[in-house]
Amino acid sequence: MATEVRLPRLGQGMESGTIVKWLKSEGEPVEKGEPLYELDTDKVTQEVEAEASGVLLRIAVSGGEVPVGQTIAFIGAEGEEAPASAEKPAEAPAREPEREEGRAAAAAAAERQPEPSAASVSNGRIKASPLARRIARERGIELSQIRGTGPDGRIVAEDVERAKAAPAPVAQAVPSGEVESRPLSNVRKTIARRLTQAWTVPAFQLTVDAEMTHASELVTRQRELYPDVRITVTDVLTKVCAQALMRHRDMNVQYTDDALLVFPNADVGIAVAAPQGLVVPVVRAAERLTIAQIAQVRADLVERARENKLRTDDLEGGTFTISNLGMYDVDQFIAVLNPPQASILAVGSTREQVVPRAGELHVLPQMTMTLTCDHRAVDGATGAEFLRTIKSFLENPALAL
Amino acid sequence: MPELSYREAVRDALSAAMREDDDVFVMGEDIAEMGGSMGVTHGMLEEFGPERVRNTPISEMALAGTAIGAAMQGMRPVAEIMYEDFMTLAAEQIVNQAAKARYMSGGQLTVPVVFRTQGGAGWSPGAQHAQQLEAWFVHIPGLKVVFASTPEDVRGLLWSSIYDDNPVVFFEHRTLYGIKGNVPETIEPIPLGKARVHRDGSDVTVIATGRLVHESLKAAEEAERDGISVEVVDPRTLQPLDEEALVGSVKKTNRAVVAHEAVTRMGFGAEVAAVLQYQAFDWLDAPIERVGAKFAPLPFAPVMEQFVVPHAEDVYAAVRRTVGK
Repeated sequence: MATEVRLPRLGQGMESGTIVKWLKSEGEPVEKGEPLYELDTDKVTQEVEAEASGVLLRIAVSGGEVPVGQTIAFIGAEGEEAPASAEKPAEAPAREPEREEGRAAAAAAAERQPEPSAASVSNGRIKASPLARRIARERGIELSQIRGTGPDGRIVAEDVERAKAAPAPVAQAVPSGEVESRPLSNVRKTIARRLTQAWTVPAFQLTVDAEMTHASELVTRQRELYPDVRITVTDVLTKVCAQALMRHRDMNVQYTDDALLVFPNADVGIAVAAPQGLVVPVVRAAERLTIAQIAQVRADLVERARENKLRTDDLEGGTFTISNLGMYDVDQFIAVLNPPQASILAVGSTREQVVPRAGELHVLPQMTMTLTCDHRAVDGATGAEFLRTIKSFLENPALAL
Repeated sequence: MPELSYREAVRDALSAAMREDDDVFVMGEDIAEMGGSMGVTHGMLEEFGPERVRNTPISEMALAGTAIGAAMQGMRPVAEIMYEDFMTLAAEQIVNQAAKARYMSGGQLTVPVVFRTQGGAGWSPGAQHAQQLEAWFVHIPGLKVVFASTPEDVRGLLWSSIYDDNPVVFFEHRTLYGIKGNVPETIEPIPLGKARVHRDGSDVTVIATGRLVHESLKAAEEAERDGISVEVVDPRTLQPLDEEALVGSVKKTNRAVVAHEAVTRMGFGAEVAAVLQYQAFDWLDAPIERVGAKFAPLPFAPVMEQFVVPHAEDVYAAVRRTVGK
């Protein structure tokens, strides 16, 4: 019985191939594994090996484009009669391994192609769970391309999910969405201009952990004292930074080409994620305000920022900025300078950590801060001393008095 | 929250309804002085007297017919059929009369009767005293069927059954009478037709009734140790069936096991499996597994009885098959 040579599927999505030329002629003996013909697909041109040994009895398709699975030749014993005509094009080889010849073809195809091997097939029906079938149908995945891992090789949902991760067949490529073009808002333009400017500044970062037990207690106490004001860690930080800036006047500065400007007040900017983008309204002379007063000013600024009602003078003239992403559970991060200011403090979340103290392990609320400084205005040691003061104030707020 | 045994919970529902409503009374074989074969009605004779706690002759057909007649006349009787197996003797009255009267009278008659009965393996009562026949009655249009598995459920469901205007067959499981559980301070009626999710899970839904609810919960714990998350749902009311809850759960987990003590063949689980395969066909990732007794009369020998009926390990084995492990 002659073996049919069918056009193999050499890759997912391949529907047809073009026979360039036959490397054997009719009547010529072939060995299994010998190059038999050249095939051109939309990806490559390659030699296809014979799947059986014998004599190339008849070439059914001498050249041109052929759908996958169509019989293109017959290999059989010497003197054997080739079938008169090729039967009608069959389905892909993967669909018919129940036939002896088909199984050989599929096996040969599997050797050449590291593609997913054939599904478990029984009497022409692929075994797959209803759920697997539905998922495959919805996602346009061919069950015949999936190997089942369930009982008796049944394709289960997990197998289809895994197949989905493989590169999607070209034919089923989903048209991608269009790129949306949003005009730049003025806020967005300003953010881009100022932060690009900041990037030209030589900057360095210093990172420190502060233990927040007492600072948290202070927040709690303040809330009890001023139940009408919603006091947060940011307010305590604002106060603490303002006090520290007053002690380290070298930090409350701005670099200009002509001179270093040293400011008399700690005007602390607070980075706010407003709907229109990042804005940094300023709490003026925070060193003179109580924590509750800071909270009131801050609440007003944040509310107006969210409503896009900030005025220019709310945003100008800050000498220092606090950017707190602790409420987003960020452990720590590095902030980009807010020019022309000389420094900015990036504040992470307060979280419990194991801290060794005097040879013992303690679980303490810790907060990580990173100070970014303009090196033109501030040196490392200056920044480090400033940061140490902030740390000590947070750990023992009474020191800020 | 007070703690009651399943037995006390049944008694509490009966007594509370009888205190509240003169139309409610109980009748059955040896339920008065003896307090019933399972002690459920113990002490009720003293409180309510022989008029309302009525001993009957040993004729299930006669006592069922009497209860049905009283119900047609406006009473709300609760008849105890001593053993589930004897429901076969009461079946003519329940199936042919109680279930049909409302329909055949064009709604002129209602039959607000409850048939309480109990059964199940566990004490080696032998082949004629340990069957689980709930599926027989689920098959009859005109009957409601309840099978409660916890003290809280049995109390709330019995209350709702007494006040339902249709005949209700109310199954209790013998081995559950002793289990204890918290119940609400006052009786909270549990509507008929509402399933209860005993345990949330994401991999497999086990739909279990009666004793097998508890076995399934044990199996779920074991499965969890092996990394399989099992949801355990008790339909509680077998007729009407809370299809929405069962189908919803299976659409979530994509796998189902049905478990009951009755024999698997033509058991209640067969109906559940049919409902699931039809309504959740495209969500099923494995064949629905069925857990039930082997197809044999229940043996008297304890070791053989235990061999025939299902346990937690049988549920667990079925769970594993659904996830292909």
